[in-house]
Amino acid sequence: MMVEMLSYPFMQRAFIAGLMIALLAAMSGSFIVLRRYSLLSETLAHVSLVGVSVGILFGLSPLWMAVVASLIASWLIEYLRSVHGMYSDSVLAIFLSGSLALAIVIVSLSGSFNASLFSYLFGSILSVSNDDLMIMGFFGSISMALLILFFKELYFIAFDEEVAHTSGIRVSLLNFMLVSIIAVIIALSIRVVGTLLIGALMVIPPVAAIRFGMGFFSTTLLSIAIALVCVVAGLSLSFFFSLPSGAAIVLCLLVAFIFALVVNRR
Amino acid sequence: MKFSPSLFEVRDLSFTRGDNEILKSVNLTILKGEYCAIIGPNGGGKTTLIRLLMGLEKPTSGTIKLFGTDQSKFREWHRIGYVPQRSALVDATFPATVREVVAMGRYARRGIFGFESAEDVAAIEESMEQMGVSDLRDRLIGHLSGGQRQRVMIARALASHPQVLIVDEPNTGVDVESQHRFYDLLRVLNKTKGIAILFITHDVGVIAEDISKLFFVNQTLLLSQTPQEMLRCDSMSRLYGTPAHVVCHNH
Repeated sequence: MMVEMLSYPFMQRAFIAGLMIALLAAMSGSFIVLRRYSLLSETLAHVSLVGVSVGILFGLSPLWMAVVASLIASWLIEYLRSVHGMYSDSVLAIFLSGSLALAIVIVSLSGSFNASLFSYLFGSILSVSNDDLMIMGFFGSISMALLILFFKELYFIAFDEEVAHTSGIRVSLLNFMLVSIIAVIIALSIRVVGTLLIGALMVIPPVAAIRFGMGFFSTTLLSIAIALVCVVAGLSLSFFFSLPSGAAIVLCLLVAFIFALVVNRR
Repeated sequence: MKFSPSLFEVRDLSFTRGDNEILKSVNLTILKGEYCAIIGPNGGGKTTLIRLLMGLEKPTSGTIKLFGTDQSKFREWHRIGYVPQRSALVDATFPATVREVVAMGRYARRGIFGFESAEDVAAIEESMEQMGVSDLRDRLIGHLSGGQRQRVMIARALASHPQVLIVDEPNTGVDVESQHRFYDLLRVLNKTKGIAILFITHDVGVIAEDISKLFFVNQTLLLSQTPQEMLRCDSMSRLYGTPAHVVCHNH
């Protein structure tokens, strides 16, 4: 059955895209979860929708537009949070509903709430094109390289931002880098997982892995493993039962989360 | 590496937040190998003074020199070990083992590709050993007692081989017995390793008589003197603003 599924080129593309996103989302997700910043992924996903709708309206690549919108918003959010000292959850709440409102207005202007937009909301395995894979490969490798290079510094900042700063780590710069990476990962993931569901792929694997009470390195590895397994399972379910891929992936993640909760009852 | 006999040199330092003058015209110098304490009432600006030294706050006026270099140009932060006040309070589920936390002390010294060198491993092991936390290496930091966490945080600061260690209110959330063991450890580090120590406390009772300098901070640096001078009651009265009576504990 698996062989049959993987013989379809669209499934091959969906798997490549899904596994890449799972890896990136789980790795970067640990940092936002530990910094109590989980809502960032949700917010930037809604912002990407603005990009997608602009893309659909003007006939530009929705994926490119999503990356641009998400990046700009991530910088604005980090700027308001760090420079103006606004509460991060309120900044996120403003951006979350504001961007959704903007996206809906733009879509209404284009005159249709069409099927193409539906696939961006909930993900679709049919929708990953070769061009999408190229864009994902390009931005995904840059994000991955930066995450690996600055993994230890980002960890130190998540654990103790002030002491990281006083030990000579460039905290503000790395904070901007982290939100940019997250913005890019979220924008890239909307094809497979969908805007409304990507938050779960970023947050659930680290949260489930943390329940096992291990150190950070082991927790991150477990988190990546959970994300990869759930993406494979979700995409397969999506193929066999004709479900939106994002929804199937998130349901698998929920099962993993419940399993982690039950196994580690305290 | 620039040679300077003074580790910290603060001249005419003032700090205002809003309309609130928190510190004014503070002058102080800390030399190599000194064992110093900052005491003063709560809200007197002790922690702010430390935060200014560490570059976490910007002074309203005045200058701070670290190892003879102006603070804005200072880059060798690994020479200063800093343990902030609330460091013993860690979320119980935070995924960090003791070994991982101590290793953070080496991060700023490791390059961009950041693999642990043999020197890093040796420094991490040595500082865990010194603080008696080697046996806890695989435990989660959030599962330790307040006193144990405190020692892990000091071990992290020591891993970067600092020449001065700044510890803010080490007693927060720590039981009395651990407090005494903790001050003994600071003393040993100072004597055997020659690391200068600057710690904040509002508990005058813990200050040993062999301390090099005491700084009394209450909005300004009121006094800077030896413990013998400090034990005279009029010093305490000046500091706390009310007649004070010093009870000596002869530990």
